[in-house]
Amino acid sequence: MSRTLRRRSTIAASLALVASLALSACGGSDSGSSAVPPSAGGGGDDALQEVYDNAPVAEAAALLSDSTMAAIRERGVLRVAAALDAPLLSQQDPSNPDDIQGFDIDLAKMLAIYIIGEPNIEVVPPASETREALLTNGTVDVVFNTYTITEERAEQISFAGPYFVSGLAVAVAADNEDIAGIDDLGGRTVIVGANTPAVTAVPEQQPTAEVVSFATDPQCVQALTQGRGDAYVQDYTLLAADAESNDGIKVVGQPFTEEAYGIGLPPNDPDFKDFVNDWLEQIYADGSWAAVFDATLGTVGDGSTPEPPAIGSVPGS
Amino acid sequence: MSALVDAWPQLLSGLGTTVFVLVTSAVGALVLGTLVTVARVSPVPVLRAAAFGYVQVLVNVPLLALLLLAVFALPDAGLIAPLVTTAIVVLTVYEAAYVAEALRSGINTVSRGQVEAARALGFTLAQTLRLVVVPQAARTVVQPLGNVLIALLMNTALTATVGVVELTSATNKVNLVQAQPIPIFGAAGLVYMALALVIGLGAGRIEKRVAIRR
Repeated sequence: MSRTLRRRSTIAASLALVASLALSACGGSDSGSSAVPPSAGGGGDDALQEVYDNAPVAEAAALLSDSTMAAIRERGVLRVAAALDAPLLSQQDPSNPDDIQGFDIDLAKMLAIYIIGEPNIEVVPPASETREALLTNGTVDVVFNTYTITEERAEQISFAGPYFVSGLAVAVAADNEDIAGIDDLGGRTVIVGANTPAVTAVPEQQPTAEVVSFATDPQCVQALTQGRGDAYVQDYTLLAADAESNDGIKVVGQPFTEEAYGIGLPPNDPDFKDFVNDWLEQIYADGSWAAVFDATLGTVGDGSTPEPPAIGSVPGS
Repeated sequence: MSALVDAWPQLLSGLGTTVFVLVTSAVGALVLGTLVTVARVSPVPVLRAAAFGYVQVLVNVPLLALLLLAVFALPDAGLIAPLVTTAIVVLTVYEAAYVAEALRSGINTVSRGQVEAARALGFTLAQTLRLVVVPQAARTVVQPLGNVLIALLMNTALTATVGVVELTSATNKVNLVQAQPIPIFGAAGLVYMALALVIGLGAGRIEKRVAIRR
């Protein structure tokens, strides 16, 4: 090849390489997305839009100078660790990555409105093992991820709330008539999610049950319908959402444990914890919490709206 | 540290499953890989093409995709087996491709003269391969095969994502309650390192013993 041709083709090749790296970098950064409130797309969304419009905003005096909340307001965006694939709790719309809907994420947006005035959030999907690390090293400000309050976790980070009380329940294949609840699971094969409280709760209640765990909720449901286990034990809200979208499984019995969800906060920050708890009190009192529940989790229940739990009522919160 | 001591039986059971999966898949991969290499160097074009296709497909598909396919998609086609069995089969099939490539490079180091001499002595193809070529080839690639086995050890950790309760999965479960990932996962990492050292040093020792001095 002549020298000019070789030089041109080298330049072209390096430009192509840089372009492809830049494009792949663009593609890779969609793990952090800023969500906008869902535009009118049905009754539930209209109701939520009204809730956002009327959402409380913190008074300037509440944002103590040099505090976490002042820093968040300064930054203009609330960093939230939340799932992208939890139906009714925090579900990203695949055709519109900016649109994430659900109970957890709507509460996060309302917290952002309370601090900043706008529902500007940046979502970082965590793995269950990394939630504490994300809080302690400051990658996220809060965790809204069906984060069960336990004393071991409370030793490392702080919890605000609880903001919801759920429990573990049992789902079986739709044509299974033998199992009516946790008491019938002795000696059976039970599917659980890999990093959920069910991993310890099932052996406690039924020591003879054989426990098989899979990484994600869709995998567990698939395993149940394919017959790898007799039952699937998971949080009641998740099971209800799964049963709603999948006729092959059904929920049997009532929740047999009490799991209180809390908002994960960075450790050693009592001002921020008091601030967030104040906000929770406000949305419990003015009905916004109930409205968000009705628009999300309430759509698959029996229509009743639970009472918000008492703040600080669970050890660790 | 107390978290590790309390959960000792669980972690030991997980380690047992890891070692069981490792040894079974290693033996299977070595056998299957040898067969694939033999097909690859055979004079039959169909066998050569099939072996080439097998290796190219399997080294270019991520192991996680294969595991998810085998565990979650095959049952819909009617092929359902216990999780550990499925994991061993997938690991065997996957690592056999790497064993085949390593062995093929070994076969390329055996000089033509050896094959010609064997033919001159009246050996059949099977005898040539069995008595002359593969023994010499295998003795030159002991260290690369050791590396493939170390990769296999690390890949057993991947089966945790499809429900096999081996060391990584057991460690994860312990950490779920204790929420002390650094000492717990650090300890699991040290165990994997120790196993990899055993394989690596073993391969080194075997290589010294069977090296061909020309």
